[in-house]
Amino acid sequence: MLKKRLVGVVTIKNGWAVQSFGYQRYLPLGKPLCVIENLDRWGVDEILVQVIDRSIDGQGPDFDLLERIGKQGLETPLIYGGGIRTESDGVRLVQMGADRLLIDTLLHQNLIEVDRLANKLGAQALIASLPMSLNDGNLTWHDYRSNSDKVVSTELEQYLRSGVLSEALLVDWRGEGLASRFTNDLVDEFPVKNTPLIAFGGLSNADQMRELLAKTNVTAVAVGNFLNYREHAVQKYKSALNGLPVRLPTFSTVNTLMAGADV
Amino acid sequence: MPISIAIVDYGMGNQASVVHALRSLGFRVKLTASANELDEAQLLVLPGVGAFPAAMEVLHQKGLVSYLKESARYGRPLIGICLGMQLLMSGSHEHGYTEGLDLIPGEVVPFDGQSVHIGWNSLEFTRQTAPWAASDGEAFYFNHSYHLSAPEEYRVAVTRHRSEFTSALQRGKVVGLQFHPEKSQAAGKTLLKNLISELTHA
Repeated sequence: MLKKRLVGVVTIKNGWAVQSFGYQRYLPLGKPLCVIENLDRWGVDEILVQVIDRSIDGQGPDFDLLERIGKQGLETPLIYGGGIRTESDGVRLVQMGADRLLIDTLLHQNLIEVDRLANKLGAQALIASLPMSLNDGNLTWHDYRSNSDKVVSTELEQYLRSGVLSEALLVDWRGEGLASRFTNDLVDEFPVKNTPLIAFGGLSNADQMRELLAKTNVTAVAVGNFLNYREHAVQKYKSALNGLPVRLPTFSTVNTLMAGADV
Repeated sequence: MPISIAIVDYGMGNQASVVHALRSLGFRVKLTASANELDEAQLLVLPGVGAFPAAMEVLHQKGLVSYLKESARYGRPLIGICLGMQLLMSGSHEHGYTEGLDLIPGEVVPFDGQSVHIGWNSLEFTRQTAPWAASDGEAFYFNHSYHLSAPEEYRVAVTRHRSEFTSALQRGKVVGLQFHPEKSQAAGKTLLKNLISELTHA
């Protein structure tokens, strides 16, 4: 049975891992590689590295960071987001160790390029990043570059329905980084019911995670700041999700490496 | 002397992750598309992330289709991972029909209803022998939207996602793994080590 996932999120700004609050306030956390290494050791199900200043500054993806992450030899699947402009950017990122790509700016700017990425890498490699909020009961889509909101368009809905992207990171951007601020109604109001969702933004409470993961269309919850506030946070969250189809709270296996193998 | 492995470099995949995982297990690993360098390896790994037609096109361009077929015919072990596994088959229906390496009979078909299969899922091994038995029931990381329709005789493991599909298969010394052992933490490393040891010593 396919497991529900706990995704560890590392947000990077100006070369530093940061705590991010509501897409507008940032506090330094440390060196990105150290934070990523911790998540890898702790056995999260996927690691999302999002570099939030690459598209705004027109710098393209942070290939240097990816190269350094690649040398770490992560044993955990890696999602990369930040500055992806073209199909060739995507191919290079995958070659350098990204398993999947998070697409945000291109969804606003250039769906043809998203199609090219999908044709080259496959739908399974692409995730839509959708910062959302509810305004007077209406679901609105946030463009972090201009700090503006717009109603979810029919074009976006149709695009998601087409299956070009495999999942959507549904971000409660207002609640991001703030304890228990994720609005479950965002999931209920999300118009495309066949798009698997990764819920993110203000998820700190295991009961709320449980409630979200119990929904058929929620395949994962993503946590950023709150994995760094206490010891063994990943294991504690997973233990608290007992009864749901999640991987064991540790990444240890009952098997030992083959004894006496001649390698 | 460490076992020597060549990872086939055709520009379509997460080579860096595979290289690192295998080196961490103590193998001697080279990433290359050169026939001379590939010849020196005891075992080949064909990784892959992406779409089937684009991958086959690159393999043809680099002259690797005939090389891989010849290599398998002479009994050299070959492990295909994810898209690399699918390329071992007769053909794929991804974006139309494209012929594959045809090292194992069968076809690559989409999941029903625009479904993808992403995340950690368990393997149920149909062969309860080395090197597979030790990994029975373990969860591995999958990331794909097409899967295999292959004869049962080559099936080594199945996984359930809505329905049952082949998640590992073997024909002689050609092995396909639909999941990513290199990104499956301890379970992946155990399987890789056992599998490579078995294929190179049998």
